[in-house]
Formats: sequence, C-alpha cells, structure tokens
Amino acid sequence: MLDVKYLFLRLGQAVLVLLLAFTAAFVLLSLIPGDGVTARFADPALGLSAEQIADIREQTGADAPALNRYLLTLVGFLTGNFGFSVQTGAAVSTIVAAALPSTAVLALSGFLTALVFAVTIAVLATYGPTSGPLRWVRRVLDSTPSLFISIPVFWLGILLIQVFSFQLGLVSVVEPGSAEALVLPTLTVAVPLSAPIAQVLIRSITEVKTSPFVKVTQAKGASEPWILVHAVARNAILPGLTIIGLIFGELVAGAVVTETVFGRNGIGQITAQAVTHRDNPILLAVVVIATFGYVLINLIVDLLYPVIDVRLRGTRTATPTQVGTVEDTAAEPVTGSFAGVATARGTTPAPIAGEEEA
Amino acid sequence: MTDLRPPASASTIDRRSILSLGLGLGTLITLSACTPTDDAPLTEGTPVQGGVLKYFEPQTWTLLYPPSVGFYPNGGIMNNISARLLWQDPETLELHPWLATELPQVNADATEYTFTIRNGVTYSDGTPLTPENVAKNFDLFGRGDEARTLPVSEQISNYARSEVLDESRVRFHFSAPTPGFAQAVSTMNAGLLSDSTLDLDAEGFGPGGALKIHTCGPFRITAETIGTKLSVRAREDYDWAPPHLTHQGRPYLDGIDYLVNNEYSVRIGAVLSGQADGVRDVQAPDEARVEEQGLRLYAKPTNGINNGINFRFRHPLLSDIRVRRALIAAIDREEVVDKLFTPNFPLATGVVAKGAMGYKDQSGSWEHNPAEANRLLDDAGWSRRNAEGYRVKDGQVLALVVNTALPQPRSNEVQTLIQQQLRRVGVRLAINPGDQSKQTLDALSLDTIQIYHSMVARAEFDNLRSNYASVNRDVFLNGTGRDDAEDSTVDPEIDRLLDELATEPVAAKRQRAAERFQDYLVEKAYVLPFFEEPQVFSFRRRVHGFETEPVGRPSFYNTWLAGQ
Repeated sequence: MLDVKYLFLRLGQAVLVLLLAFTAAFVLLSLIPGDGVTARFADPALGLSAEQIADIREQTGADAPALNRYLLTLVGFLTGNFGFSVQTGAAVSTIVAAALPSTAVLALSGFLTALVFAVTIAVLATYGPTSGPLRWVRRVLDSTPSLFISIPVFWLGILLIQVFSFQLGLVSVVEPGSAEALVLPTLTVAVPLSAPIAQVLIRSITEVKTSPFVKVTQAKGASEPWILVHAVARNAILPGLTIIGLIFGELVAGAVVTETVFGRNGIGQITAQAVTHRDNPILLAVVVIATFGYVLINLIVDLLYPVIDVRLRGTRTATPTQVGTVEDTAAEPVTGSFAGVATARGTTPAPIAGEEEA
Repeated sequence: MTDLRPPASASTIDRRSILSLGLGLGTLITLSACTPTDDAPLTEGTPVQGGVLKYFEPQTWTLLYPPSVGFYPNGGIMNNISARLLWQDPETLELHPWLATELPQVNADATEYTFTIRNGVTYSDGTPLTPENVAKNFDLFGRGDEARTLPVSEQISNYARSEVLDESRVRFHFSAPTPGFAQAVSTMNAGLLSDSTLDLDAEGFGPGGALKIHTCGPFRITAETIGTKLSVRAREDYDWAPPHLTHQGRPYLDGIDYLVNNEYSVRIGAVLSGQADGVRDVQAPDEARVEEQGLRLYAKPTNGINNGINFRFRHPLLSDIRVRRALIAAIDREEVVDKLFTPNFPLATGVVAKGAMGYKDQSGSWEHNPAEANRLLDDAGWSRRNAEGYRVKDGQVLALVVNTALPQPRSNEVQTLIQQQLRRVGVRLAINPGDQSKQTLDALSLDTIQIYHSMVARAEFDNLRSNYASVNRDVFLNGTGRDDAEDSTVDPEIDRLLDELATEPVAAKRQRAAERFQDYLVEKAYVLPFFEEPQVFSFRRRVHGFETEPVGRPSFYNTWLAGQ
C-alpha cells in the first residue's frame, strides 16, 4: 500500500523541519538579552563578585561566538548529547527523560478523552432531538465547543482540584496513585482540546447530512444510525483528522499549564521553569521534541487520509486495479462523494443499497 | 524601555487585574468553602516517634551544593540533611559546638581558626568524618572551583588554606582578619559533605543526582523524583546532635517528603484539606483564614537586612541627596505595611531586623512628610511639571525604575502602592516587569534599575557586607567597573566602613562598626527599609515542635507527629 518514495520524501521533509526549528529556536534564544549563565551566577542569592561571574562565564564557554556555539550544540544534538542545564548543571537528557513519559501518558489520555468528548458532542448536536422536551440538549451541545474553547486551562484545573479533591475528597493531589494522578489532568487537557474537533465535526456532519448521496441513501430506506455510521461518519471524519494534526501544538501548550497546576513533572513543567531561568539547552531540547511530535503526528495523519478516503489513494497507491475504479468514480462530480462513501470497502455503490433493502 | 509598565491611573481596571481576579478565585474557593476545621489538640505533650511529614514547597530544588543553598527550596533540604561544625541558637544567635567538640580557638587577629573534630560521626555513605575531610570541605567552599562551576561561598572571605594538625584537629588560615568565619561554619551553606560528594561537579549536585549527596545530618536522602518530590528518612544511627539541645539521638520523624507544586491555591488547599501536613510561604492575605481553619501558623523571623529599597546614588537622577530625601519623605511605609501585610511583618526600625546582629534602632529616620518631599524636590530644581503632572528639569522627567523582588512577599503590590505615593509628589515610578532571570539581569545595570528592592538574611555582622560591599551583592552597583557610570560617582566610604566591620576581630567593636555603617546609610539617604521579613509556614495541628534555624529555614529535627 505505502509508497516508499513518498515516505522517504516525507521523512526528508521532517528532518528539514527539525533542523529549521532548531536553528530558529537557537537564533531567537540567542537574541534574548542576557543568558542563563549570568542569570544563574549573578543571582544575588549567591553574592558573587563581577570578576567571579566573568571567570565562570569564560569556563562555561558562554562568551564564545554564536556560530561556534550553534555548531557545537548542533553536533551535540546529532550525537544525542543535549548538553547540560544552565540552571542546575544536570544533563538535559536526564531531565527530559524523566519528564517525557509523564507528558506522553497525559497527552495520550487527554487526546483520547478529547476524542470521546468531541464525537459525543458532535453526534448529539447533529442527531439530537429536534423536538420534544429534550430539544434543548441539541441547542446546548451545539454551543458547547465555543464554551469549552473559552475556558482558561489553569482555571479549569484549579477548579477541578478544588471540587473533586479538596471538597469532595474523591482524588488526592498529594502523592496520588498513577491512575488517580491522571484523572483530573486528563479532564483539564481534554476539555479545551475537544472543542475544535467537535466544532469541525459538527460542521462537517451537518454538511454531509445535506449531501445528495445521503438523501439518495435515505430514499433507499436506510435508517438514521446506519447512515451516520456508514455514510456520514466516513466523510465527516476527514476535516476532523486534519484538525487533529493541527491541535498537537495546543496539546503542548495545555501541558505547560496543566502540569504546573497539578505539579506533574513533565515537558510542560520543565519548559515553564526553563523559560524563567533562561535555560536555553532545555528549551532547545523541548523545541526539538515538540517539533518532532508535531511532524510525527502530521505524518501519521497524512498517511491515514488515503486509508480512510479512497479518493485520495489515486495519487500515490500502488494497486492499479483499485486506482482505476476509484479515480473513475471520483472523477464524476455529482456522484463523487456518494461513490466515495459507498465504495469504501472497494465495492461498487449498488450492493450497498441492495444490502439495505435485504 | 518600551515594555515598562506606566503607572496605573486611578480608576481603570486593566486586563491584568481581571486575570488576577480569576487566579485568585481558586484560592478563594478553597479558603472560603467548607473544608473541615482542624480541631486536633494543640497541647505539646510527650514527643512520639514515627510518621513521614508531607511538606509543600512552591518550587523544586535546583542545587544541593551547600554554598548555593540560599535559594529557599535548596536550604529547606540542606538544613535537615547536613550537620555543621558549630550550631547557632536561633533565639540568642550564640554559637555552640556541634561536630566540633568545642568552640574554635582563634588567634588574636582572627586569621587562624582551630577546630577539634568529634569522634564517631559518619556520613550517610558510611565514611567517617575526619579532619582531612573537613579540610577538603572548606578548601572547596572557601575557594570554589570554577572548572566545575561550583562557586565560592559568599560567607567565607579571605580563605587561604587548611592544615590538618593531628587525627582530631584542623586549622584554617586566612589572608586577612575574618571574624565572621565561626558563624559561617554554623550555617547550612557550610553543611559538611563526604569525600565522594565533594568530588562531584555541578551536574552531580543537581536534580537527578540527589542520591549521591552524602551528608551527616539527622536525615538522609533516600528517593528522588525529579521535579516533583524528594524523600529524606531519619538516620537511626544519628547520635551527634548539638550537645546544647535536650533532644539527642535520632529525629522523631521517620522522614520528610518534600513535595513541589507551583500553584499556590493547590499547595494551601492540600494543607487545608488535610492531604499534606505543611506548607512554606503562606501569603499575608491568607493568614487570617488559615488560622480560622484551625491550622498552625508560624511567622519565623529571618534576622537579616530588612525588606526595603536601595537608592542607586550613582545614577544622575539620584545623585542629589535632596532627591533621595524627598523620595523617602514621599513614601508612607506605614501605609505599605498596614495595607498589604499583617502584624507578622513588623515595620522596620532600622536597616537590619531587631533580632539581627548589629541592630541599631533608627526609627524616626524615615518620616513620612509629603510637604517636605515637595519642598526638597523644588529646591533640587525639579519645580516644573509636565502635562501629566510629573516633575521635569532641563526637559528630563523625574522617572525612575524599580525591580520586582520576586522572592520577596508581594513586591509588586508594594511597588504599586509606592508608585501611587510618589505620583502625588510628581515622581514617576515604573515597575520592571519580567521573571527572575530578567530581574537579575536588569538589576546589573543602572540604566535599567535605579531603585533596587531586596532583602538578605544571615545571622552575622557580615550580612551587611554581603549586601552592600562592591565585591558581593553590591545592591548600589557601587563597584568600579560594575557599570558604565563614571568611576568618580563611586562612594568609597561604603567599602571602607564595611572593611572595618569585616576585619575587626573584637565583637563589641564590630557592633560599633556595624552601627557606624548603618548611620552612614541613613545620613546619606541611601536606603529605605520597609519591614522585618518573616518566613510564614502553616502546619496541621498534628505537627508538633516545628522550628527554624536563625534565618527562617525549616528545621525538622525536633518535629513530631501526634497520633503515630
């Protein structure tokens, strides 16, 4: 299925993006007046004289020309040596290795929860009752994404802790178990994250629902749930997938606040501290890791498109028979989307309707 | 300079206040809502052994290299895991033997100190405390090692060399009289380290390496989770408490878990809801509510230089003493203390706190008198005002910048209030925004910071020198080469008076030298102290016997938990 040449091209792009992100971060961090070495050793708490600080600066190579430092750091990164934290002197790899798993777990659970939220909201907002005593459900849920996206993460986190931990005593924030420690942070991350996904899903479901091919399927007697699963979902999911690739950045930003509020030692927490201490080696490592995550997620999303939508396989799939069929149908503008859905399993449109009649 | 915040006008509510309203809401909910009141008995009773204390810090520790443990989270750990040659009584500030069997023998001009080392003391890695090891400790602390980015201790000056005399005695030599050394060996910045620990570089003392730090105090580090938690446990074999104490042997607690959370409402909420036992840094507005909940509140004095501002007289705008006197007269210190703090923050009556060494009562030196301020400024040539009402001279506005002292309580609120007070006499004050690094870096230049807000604590006369000498913290930026300003603007009298203080071996004469120096600061209108800064802690009622060392760092050796 996978085009090897395409994959290599994408990997090459990824490496380039990483290099550019690294360089941009290095340049920007160098432009900030003052550096971590002075920030740490000129701290009045140490009471060092100007001469002593100058000596230390010389020892640490902080005064070397920017290009030298850039090349040294780059070689270090390529060989897996991320350098040492300016603030504490600890190896950046140690600090990052301790922080990464916790953030990965939080990101994954937050993301999955956000998906559940988003799908539930989107389905209820588009398929909820239009009349009867429960018709408000639909209206309320339709505006939920705007509400969710406006909630400040730190406020939500603090509120969840106050209510569920301090008032109700359901979870402990002091030395909690590993699952217990994940519940509230996951909710905190998931709520704002679910908003854009839900918003896009609501829009695309509404759009797809009014498409001619859905009307046709409906006319052929398909039930609403069947149409949702087999016809609408498949088409509506593509914009959702695109937005998932884009919100990864939001996930990282959310982690900074969430981890700070919940006292979780993660990438977000070390970023917040590194920024306060001008700890450039750590910030560089975080930028590279975040870029890597971003590139990886978007690569996965790109590779998933053709798996979900057959119409997108044409340009780069290797199976000639399928390409022919799909491209033929996709080329017809009127029945395009209908065919796309119906041929999802690689069959022709007719049998689907037939199945439904049976 | 475009990022400087202009003085807030009287009535507008800006975005920041709304944000802080939102931030404060969380705290408000915890404190106002129905968390059960702690009603455990407060009576002391007989100490019992056992239990692990859960204690919250706002920030994670950064470095366990003793000379660098002035940072509160570092000091809170180092003070409990390390033992020192001498012990300083936090009440009387007198020195007593600890790992030295007696007070040191000092020669007449205080350039030689001889210590006799206690037998049978071991480090947590099993190695014994020996004179060689003690010598090795001070060779590092007294000189630093720049190749390993381990700085010299600011408390040890003029260090020349060590000399091991026999199997129990060690002598330290100094290039000039150093009367402050005896007290310096009693502080946590001189916590003794095992030989293997002394060979670590800065990386080894940082996060990730805590288990390799071996000390000989009542607790030892047993577990580290980078960034969130550090566990210390009691040493069963600890049998070398300062003989002056009634409690001997192992500590009552089985251990302490130092927990970290940057979010204030979570820390205070965890203690109020009983999930944690104690927290450092309770903010002044919450003191009353914490007490209403039945919790123990401790405001421990730090016995140092008072929280206050220093006028950097080398800056052209502040070089005229009339301007400095006018600023002092325009600022209402009592309003600052009354509006923003509690009685636990007493109004400063001198440059240093009442409990500090070298204290001199100078109350009355900083009278609030706006009329006098206006008169002085007019006299100094600042009589014209611009459209905004600020004073101008030769086209220049009387505009100054003060730093935000982030480690100090409510520095931003203090400065905002002073901003308003100064506005009334036509002086514009801007508050330097930004995080700790930006404050540190900006404070290095007269161009960016002209008024420096700070405090520093050490229970020794040398504290004055640490704060004001041009080779130390140099709050005035008074050293040649410290700044671009002309060398002729340096006031050499400051360093001269401090040298007198630092090299005078006789205690009574040191007191007089300290007083002379403080009088000089008042006479020249260089400083305006606000209040004596405490460290405020809160503990659950079941936590008994909480104490601090002389500058307010927690000391858990005598602490015990009821109901174990």
